[in-house]
Parts: sequence; C-alpha cells; structure tokens
Amino acid sequence: MQERIGVFVCKCSTNIGNKIDVDSIVSDVSNIENVVTAKSHNVLCSNEGLEFLMNEIREGNLSRMVIAACTPKMYEQRFMNVCEASGLNPYLFQMTNIREQVAWVTPDKDLATEKAKTLCLAAINRISFQESIEKKEIEVQPDVLVIGGGVAGIEATLTLTSRGRKIILVEEDDDSGTPELKQSAQFRKVYLVEKSPCIAGFSGRFEEVYQTMECAPCMLAPELQEVLQKDNVETLTYSEVEEIVGSFGNFTVKIRRKARYVSEEACIGCNACFEPCPVEVMNQNNLGLSKRKAIYIPYAGALPNVPVIDKENCLHLNGKECNACEQACAFGAINFEDKEQIIERNVGAIILAIGSKLSDPTQYPQFGYGKFDNVLSAIQIERLNATNGPTGGKILLKNGQEPKSIAFIYCVGRKEIGYCSGICCMYMSALAQHVKEKLPDVKIYSFYTDLCLPKKEHQRIFEKVLNKGVEFIRSDGSEYVDSDGKQLIVKYKIESSKKSQLIDMVVLAPPIEPNQDIEKLAKLLEIPLDENGFFSEEHILMKPYAAPLEGVFIAGTCQGPKDIGDSVSQASAAAGKILSKLMLGEKLELEPIVAEIDEEICCGCNICIGLCPFSAINRDSERNIAIIDDTLCRGCGTCVAACPSGATKARNFTLEQISAEIREVAK
Amino acid sequence: MKKEKFTIVTFLCNWCSYEGADRAGSARLNCPANIRVIRVMCSGRVEPQFVIQAFRDGASGVLILGCHPGDCHYKKGNYKARRRIILLKKTLKQFGIEQDRVRLDWVSASEGTRFAKIANEMADTIKQLGPLSELEALN
Ligand code: FES
Repeated sequence: MQERIGVFVCKCSTNIGNKIDVDSIVSDVSNIENVVTAKSHNVLCSNEGLEFLMNEIREGNLSRMVIAACTPKMYEQRFMNVCEASGLNPYLFQMTNIREQVAWVTPDKDLATEKAKTLCLAAINRISFQESIEKKEIEVQPDVLVIGGGVAGIEATLTLTSRGRKIILVEEDDDSGTPELKQSAQFRKVYLVEKSPCIAGFSGRFEEVYQTMECAPCMLAPELQEVLQKDNVETLTYSEVEEIVGSFGNFTVKIRRKARYVSEEACIGCNACFEPCPVEVMNQNNLGLSKRKAIYIPYAGALPNVPVIDKENCLHLNGKECNACEQACAFGAINFEDKEQIIERNVGAIILAIGSKLSDPTQYPQFGYGKFDNVLSAIQIERLNATNGPTGGKILLKNGQEPKSIAFIYCVGRKEIGYCSGICCMYMSALAQHVKEKLPDVKIYSFYTDLCLPKKEHQRIFEKVLNKGVEFIRSDGSEYVDSDGKQLIVKYKIESSKKSQLIDMVVLAPPIEPNQDIEKLAKLLEIPLDENGFFSEEHILMKPYAAPLEGVFIAGTCQGPKDIGDSVSQASAAAGKILSKLMLGEKLELEPIVAEIDEEICCGCNICIGLCPFSAINRDSERNIAIIDDTLCRGCGTCVAACPSGATKARNFTLEQISAEIREVAK
Repeated sequence: MKKEKFTIVTFLCNWCSYEGADRAGSARLNCPANIRVIRVMCSGRVEPQFVIQAFRDGASGVLILGCHPGDCHYKKGNYKARRRIILLKKTLKQFGIEQDRVRLDWVSASEGTRFAKIANEMADTIKQLGPLSELEALN
C-alpha cells in the first residue's frame, strides 16, 4: 500500500512564523514522495488546530503524520491523542521541534529556515520506518504482600484494604425470566507477614511516644484489631518470606510459617497456660530485665493475643515429660504436633516494611554498657518507665533504689556509623520528661554534640524539657563512662577542657540500624541497599516509597531512620501507588516503548543481561537466548546499543528510524 | 571535495539534555544552527554505529549529551554511554577522525545555559578542525 504522509508545520503565531520561512518549508516538503498533504497552521495546539488535524487525518486518509512545532514535551501527547481519536496509530506520528530548538535559538532567518527544513526532512525520512505499536495489557493480581507488621505495615495494609469494588451482576431469574440486579463486591487481599509472634512492631509497644506523648498501644489498638479481624487480610505472624519469583503484577511468594504450638483459632487468650509452665528464661522483650515462661506472649497486650511455645526451652518439645500447659488449657489450644509449613501466595505488588533496630551499645565500649550495672540503653529505661515493664513503671537502679542523678548521652555511635538517626533527640527528650515527672528531684544531665530538632513540634518539646530543669551540656562527643566503684563517672570535654560528673545512672541513645533481615530480602528481590545498609529508594526525592524494582515498595524505617508519623506517611504513599496501579478488576497497561529481542537472531551472548538497569532481561537457558520481561523494561535502549548481533530492537527508536534521521541531519 | 558548511549531529536524551536544550530556547540563547538534534530515550541508546554513520553521511562532529552521572532516568545508561564513547574515540582515531569531533557531556533539564555553552564550544572546535573531508576509510 502506498503510504499517505501528512506534514503540518505550526507557526505558533509569530513565535515560529516570524523566525522561519514556514511557507518555503511547506512547499519544499510537498514534493517529497508519499507526502500527500503539507500545510501550515497558525496554532496547531489550539482546539481549532486539533480539529483541523483530525479532519486532515480522516479526510486525507493519512497513514502517517509529521508535525513540526514546539517541543514534544509540550503537546506530543495531545497530538497523539488526536491520532488515536482519528484512527491513526499514535506511533505513526512524529514530531519535530522547530521552536525551542530552532526559532528561539537561531537569530538568522535563513539559517533557521534551513535547519528547520532539515529537521522536517529527517522526521519525514524517519516516519516511513515507524511502526504502529499496540498498547499491551496483562492480567494482574490485585493482592499485595506486606512484609513487616509494624506501624508502616499496618498502615499500608489498612489503606490497601479499605475499599472494595462494587460489582453489579445482571442475572436472569430462572422462573420469571426477568432480569435481576445482584450486587456483590470484590476485595483486594493483603497478606501481612510478620516474623515475630505479634504485630505492632517495635515502636508500637511504647507507652508514650513523642510528639504527643501518647501511648502507642492505645493509638494502634484499633488499627491492629481491624487488621486481625478483616476478612481480606491474612495475618501471618511468626512467618518469614523465603522465596519471591515473578515480576510486577504477578509475584509468587513462598512463606515459611513457623510452628507456634498453640492454635490461633482455638486459643482465647486467657493466659492460663503461663502459670503452670515450670521453665523460666530471660524475657528479651524486656531486654533481659525480667523473666518469662517457655510458653509466653512477647509482652502484655501483644496482638494477636495467642501465646507461642519457645521450642528451645520447652521441656515437652525437648523430649522431657511435661504437658503442664496442655493440661491448663481449657480450650484444647496447645498442639505439640504443630509443624512448620511452607505456604504459597500470589500477589501483584510487595511492600517491604520490616523496620529497623537499635544498635547494640556494646559496640561503643567507651560508654561502659554491659560493663557497669547502671548504664542502660534508651530502650531499657523505656521498659523501666513502662507500666508493663519489669519494675511496673518505677525507675530504679540495679540495687532497687531510686537514682538521684541520671546522664542522658545523645549521639552514641553517630560518628562511627556516619549518619544521624534523627529521632533520638526527641525520644531522649521525651524520656527525660517522663523520668522528671516520676522523680521530680532527680538531676538530669543531657550530653549532646548536635541537636536535631527539625519538625514543627520538636522545638516546643525540647523547650519543655529545658524548663523542667534538665541540664543540657554540649560536649565534643568524647564522653567516656567510668566508675569509682560506688558511682558512675561521665568524663567529657568542653572546648578541650576536661570535665567529669559523678552520676547514678547513664542512659545511652544508640543509633538506628538496618534490621538483620534486610540483606536476605534484598537478595531475594535483587534490589540494592544503600551505603548504610537500608533499602535504596528508586529516587530519594521523587520516589522515596519505591524500591528500584517495579512493583516493590518500601515503607518505614527499613528505608532509613524516621519517626512514626513519617513511617505512616510513607506507608500510605506506597499503598496509594499500588491502589492507583493495580486496579481491582482491571488489567495493567504496559509501557509501549520497550525493547524486544528477535529470538531468531539472538545468539545468547548475555551481554544485555548485565547491562539492564531494571533486571528486565533474563536468560532462557533452554533456547539459549535472552528474553525481555515487558513488565520490567522501561525502554532506555541500553541493551539495544550493546547487542553485538543486532537482535535487540528499541521500539520507536530502532536502528532504521534513527539512521533515517541521521542521514538527513548529517548532510 | 571540501564542504564549506558543516553539521554537528547531536544526540540528546529525552529526560535531561533534551529539556536542557529546550530551556536554552526558552531563554532565547543563541545556539549554532549546525547543531542538529536527534532525540533518544537515553544516552545509553547511542550506539557506536550512529556516530560512525553520522560521519559517513557528512557530519563534521557528533555531540552526545545525557543526564549528569547519577541522574540518568534509567539509572546507569549514561555510564554505559561513557564507556562506549571512550572506546569509540580510540577506534575513530584509526580512521583519521580527530577525537575532538566526538564529545560526550552532561546537561540537566534546567541547564539551558550549559547546553548553549557546550553547543557553541562544539561548533568552535569543529570550526577550528575544519569540516571533515569525505572519508574514504568509512565509505
Ligand atoms: S536518561 Fe538521560 S542519560 Fe539516561
């Protein structure tokens, strides 16, 4: 079939019209083979201009179209829409920029006209090689895997499951034959996988969190209950993700459910099983400050309120004769036969919300943590302060007496790890405030090197603590904790003069570090970690909620230290992105400009595989070729440029198309 | 046969440098008319063959602009381009094409001034080198 090319040159009123001899271009190009129409227009992007184009395409029965006008960044999409509306495949249209890149930068009208003409010729040359591209859609799973049941994971889960999609079915009534409208709804399912036996994460158990000094369990309880009760949320506690394969829209995930030995269905959470258990071990949740049984819940109020039997310490599970808990349970919930299981789920997207951890202060030996009794980490004093903690909320020294003086040391390990954790100044201030409320006469010294008070509430909280009489001492970060046998001594320097302070208790603010599981997940998904070991984001400013792998999102402190509010925001953003991409009942539209590999030509050299920045190319070892995953490819063309056998093709930027352009512009 | 006029085939990546060139236009900065732009999605798409073809088809210079290192829309395409161009320059030398006839540089979407500066510098360089005579070796 003979091609019918239409060429339209926009004058953009005087913008192009005065700088370029548009008419001469129009008359020159109209003589080119296959160009059936060449016209100028005053403002193509106007409604009138768009209508003009639509008529030209339809009436001229155009099979290809070239527009010379402003930058394609402005109205290319608008013109593509016109093509589509007029029945012309939008990829059989080419736009060339004669305003920003010619008229506006070339004062000499003759030169500008010649350059614009060349660009038009190049576009006309190119258009003959363009191919129509059809939009591709794939079936996707709307369900989502959320890894981590902390604040971020909970928020994401609730956002993702908040609304279903109404479905109206028209059914014929069998008897009367009259149509009947039936309503039902489709819901997105979320699989919430949490490694520990309970959800709520790390911060979710603290009784008073800044900025509001609210109790986190109270704040979170309704949300946790909602998650646990929702039909479309499957909460898999005490579980870990072991394998993830597939790509955006269709991931298959293998999850290992550890044996809990207590049936979640049967248990009513009466806790009658704890008392009779003869085994006592240190309760790591109270950071070794108290004891627990071999059957236990991590802390009072933990949800789901179902105990777990600790396999290492349970007598029965270690071949001894004991079934005290089983006997005490009136609901038959104890199941010593429970087995670990691997379960499989299919999801369209994944949110990583595995949190972080406070680093172990023994890494910084100058502070005497682990060496002296009354040197505590911030989290330990939080436990002492908590009503569900080992002292029932009393701040006590190891010998059971109240401290008369406490040193809070900020920025522990900051220099060593090389980043500011951003939340310690605030939680230390909050802790100091609580301690001061409980022990009004205690003398508190806060040693800091830099204060980080960036948010609108922070300054106010800090001032409140100052007003309570907490003394802030700015040292040079060389604090050293020693002991004279009776009391602790904090040695420090101010402007290189040495000072020291006798003290009863020292509280350290260790840095926030990546969780130990982060490497495993990064490896499973083949996504990068940043230099500090947190998940890297796709773009730190524009896409801080996404991993650089399509369909994988990050939320909360696994992306970097942050407070509860920021974690919630990030989780909502991640969930929102998923909601807008994986619509219930809809297919996923793929990026049309991607690369493709000609299987006949590909020799399986694999050069492209290592070059792809999006891991979109895989090897088909059976056929010994490379294959491109359309859902991951973004069409940069790097693989195309590198393919030694010319097997790879960049849609809409093919070798033929670009060569055709070069031929014209190089002349 | 020597040509009086010369052309510089210029590859711009869609995300940064193409917009940088547009910005030069919005600011009405003068750019030499012999800069002839071809848009590609990423500087990583520019294959050596494009450059060779440009010279063969009559260009006297080839300018390739991408996003600044670390800013590539596709993460690393510009690094790939850099590796490739270094190698290509060496090859071109064997054909008697001066290395300065090819230039790879970075222009961000906001750097209209930088685009104009590089474009003018490139034109000056080529003016000094003179138009590339018809190349037996490449044809
Ligand atoms: S997108 Fe600009 S260099 Fe890759």
